[in-house]
Amino acid sequence: MPAYAHPDVLVSTDWVAEHLSDPGVRIVESDEDRALYTQGHIPGAVEIDWAVDLQNQVERDYIDRAAFERLCAERGISNDTTVVFYGDKNNWWACYAFWVFKLYGHKDCRIMNGGRKRWELDGRPWSNERVSVPHAHYTAQEQDASIRALRDEVLKHQKAGKQLLDVRSPEEYRGERMHMPDYPNEGAVRGGHIPGALNVPWPMNCNDDGTFKTAKELEKLYVKDLKMKRRSPTIAYCRIGERSSLTWFVLTYLLGFGNVKNYDGSWLEWGNCVRVPIVKGAEPGGPAAASPAPVMHA
Amino acid sequence: MESIQARLGTLTAEFADLDAREKLELLVDFANGLPPLPPEFEARKAVEDRRVHECQTPVFLWTEVDGGIARLVAEVAPEAPTVKGFVAILAEAINGRPAVDVAALSDDMLERMGLADVLGILRTRGLRAIVARVKRGFAEKTAGA
Repeated sequence: MPAYAHPDVLVSTDWVAEHLSDPGVRIVESDEDRALYTQGHIPGAVEIDWAVDLQNQVERDYIDRAAFERLCAERGISNDTTVVFYGDKNNWWACYAFWVFKLYGHKDCRIMNGGRKRWELDGRPWSNERVSVPHAHYTAQEQDASIRALRDEVLKHQKAGKQLLDVRSPEEYRGERMHMPDYPNEGAVRGGHIPGALNVPWPMNCNDDGTFKTAKELEKLYVKDLKMKRRSPTIAYCRIGERSSLTWFVLTYLLGFGNVKNYDGSWLEWGNCVRVPIVKGAEPGGPAAASPAPVMHA
Repeated sequence: MESIQARLGTLTAEFADLDAREKLELLVDFANGLPPLPPEFEARKAVEDRRVHECQTPVFLWTEVDGGIARLVAEVAPEAPTVKGFVAILAEAINGRPAVDVAALSDDMLERMGLADVLGILRTRGLRAIVARVKRGFAEKTAGA
């Protein structure tokens, strides 16, 4: 049976339980619902919240390098700390935090396979005690452009017909779901997908207990069925770049794809851009489905 | 009797002076206090479309009016304590009061509670959707009353 390309980045709940008081390890919870951490977390785990801690509150961007260094220092994370992320929703936010840590060059990041759900199913204890950790010193790298795609690059990538993955639900991909009742400010003014993007909804990466599917199952899905090439540059996106960071993690670390970027602007940016190509419906479309050339008026 | 808005003000006043961690702890306290779904609603859940589709986690809401008095009944998945706590606060403010008064519920309760800063912009959209859904539900039941 084929193994994951980088099996070291996944740790089991057993491993975490054995390393709770290891000073070289910091356990970090990242959730969709922040109050889950407050309600009960793995004993000794600290929280890093995607919205409040990792995002710049003024510009639509991540916190800058200095803020990332402060965040790590406050959470007791130094450059040589093994940081293990876990959370709710199949570790989707844990993968997002993992990705931001990689963006700033943190060396040893891991994911606790199965996240909160597996910990709960294993009958392990939760703690609601406040956690205080010793302050650390941290020096971050410049952002790693090799794992983050910005809009102009996505446009070029799309026009060149390179591998694109849309990991949203089929309804979002087809452009049917966008504006919901009582929900005036959903975000995007257009629905559909980036031409050429294949649709692999992110839950397809995971089992019911929150763990990742086996290397064999993932390989069948992406490589055999969808004919995706490991060495071709790939960009993954969703609505705001969270679900696609899980797919980025799967392709990069579990399947060994060599060049995967997360487009964190995702549909919330693309669906609002003026004159970018969009395809509606179930078919991926292709680079030819570009927007028409502007009409010149005399 | 205290108006819905005043009652909500009393319930949420405590939040204003708390730090982020304390706010979340208080919210979890409210979440733990939301009563389980009454049995008669358990059966209705299967046949009525009461799910709030804007929320990613399962949330079911009923806006009941009996003799002009409002009753908000809710079931929120345990994996969503923020939503659960928020709905519990709404139910406590609304239940037992005139249904026509629900319309006066202010839309900025999240700001007043200082929760917008703790939760971030994107998350608060789902909570706003719940307020809108509750107001609309009671408005439909009391139309023409």
